[in-house]
Amino acid sequence: MSSSRFVVFQGARNFRLRVILSTLSGRPIKIEKIRSDDMNPGLRDHEVSFLRLIEAVTNGSIIEISYTGTTVIFKPGIITGGTYTHNCAGAKPVGYFVEPMLYLAPFSKKKFSILFRGITASHSDAGIEAIKWGLMPIMEKFGVRECALHTLKRGSPPLGGGEVHLIVDSLIAQPITMHALEIPPISSIRGVAYSTRVSPSMVNRMIDGAKEVLKRVGCEVNITADVWRGENSGKSPGWGLTLVAENKSGWRYFTENIGGAGDIPEDVGREVAYELLEEISKSGVVGRTQLPLAIVYMVIGKEDIGRLRINQDQIDEKFIWLLRDIKKIFDTEVFLKPVDDISSRDLIATIKGVGFTNTSKKIA
Amino acid sequence: LNGRSRRPKKWDIGKLIYMDNIDPSDCIKRWKGEDSHDENELSDEDAEGEDFFKKKDEADFKLDKFDSDLEKFKPHFETIKQLITKWSTVDTIKDRFVGTPIARSGD
Repeated sequence: MSSSRFVVFQGARNFRLRVILSTLSGRPIKIEKIRSDDMNPGLRDHEVSFLRLIEAVTNGSIIEISYTGTTVIFKPGIITGGTYTHNCAGAKPVGYFVEPMLYLAPFSKKKFSILFRGITASHSDAGIEAIKWGLMPIMEKFGVRECALHTLKRGSPPLGGGEVHLIVDSLIAQPITMHALEIPPISSIRGVAYSTRVSPSMVNRMIDGAKEVLKRVGCEVNITADVWRGENSGKSPGWGLTLVAENKSGWRYFTENIGGAGDIPEDVGREVAYELLEEISKSGVVGRTQLPLAIVYMVIGKEDIGRLRINQDQIDEKFIWLLRDIKKIFDTEVFLKPVDDISSRDLIATIKGVGFTNTSKKIA
Repeated sequence: LNGRSRRPKKWDIGKLIYMDNIDPSDCIKRWKGEDSHDENELSDEDAEGEDFFKKKDEADFKLDKFDSDLEKFKPHFETIKQLITKWSTVDTIKDRFVGTPIARSGD
């Protein structure tokens, strides 16, 4: 009887997103069978750490984890934000924790000012530049103008020792309804190549590799070298590259990667550059990594129809999981219809906002 | 009837997405028309063919598990070799950039 009050999910997939959607909607969720077939079942350290973070930025959230860790019940409280320091546990970098905060921060009672300590880069999670140059511009488009991620210290894996400060000063009632039906052309490519505790030549070699590929595109390419030394460069040597293609309307596409043991800087530079080309070819108004954030903001918009042009290639498994999870919690569907242009394979994603209002916000 | 069964059914992705009984990976396959064989047809095929499909399924499953477990932020990319061959020319996306490449070809 009581379980029907929860929206029930199964498996470890989309763990952060489900908790986020639950918090935004105010609907309690129950996640079952988290790695129940695994040799080491249940929640991982970083997931528990993430739940702690959610507990810290909300008031009144109730989290119950079963003895084996395979079932979690989460009853969301209100988003309060505030000042907090989070030590990122587990093997996950700060990006794993900062990324979901972007979904919540604008709809908080108080401003978000969170210091994250840990590893600042990895092969699979969002890097600092990806958040700064890739995700925050999306938020800006939806009306969240004052947000910043300051890098105080970089910390390459495995030992980390980095520190980033997330500040979101815009508190808005709801995101702006989006109408993005045209894809503006890309006018320039920018990038940041960084290194910690290695020779600065690595940075320049990465830049050379990337430029070699991108020069054929013919637009302006400007990659900044960002060399970190001494105290602020963390405990491990490391280096990486983020490339951002931008257009005059403020939409951006990005790719990133970091160097691993035995990697050649030129190769990493080339790879990130090729991936950028690929990402552009697979993107609509936003890239694949930015799509979930844009879609969620559109879903929690006011009761109006929002439209976003997407690429056919953006419809992958991840996208379907995202839409199914959104439907389960918000009970709203995304409609896809092909664009009028026959030469294009793009689709228009049409979403009616659920009329979410930021209940946490103080009324001035 | 024969003709109809041979032609792959055209699926509406908008509906497929919300059919909870179909696995997302299958949704994509059906939509792209890669899944033209249904189970009966598959069993009629020779053993070699069946093996081929099995292997692919297992690989898919592994990839799927890996992806879902780590909640990767980075999207899926082809291997660097495939990307290099694909992007030996940037003609397919040159209309996504302002000016220059077209101007150069005109020179």
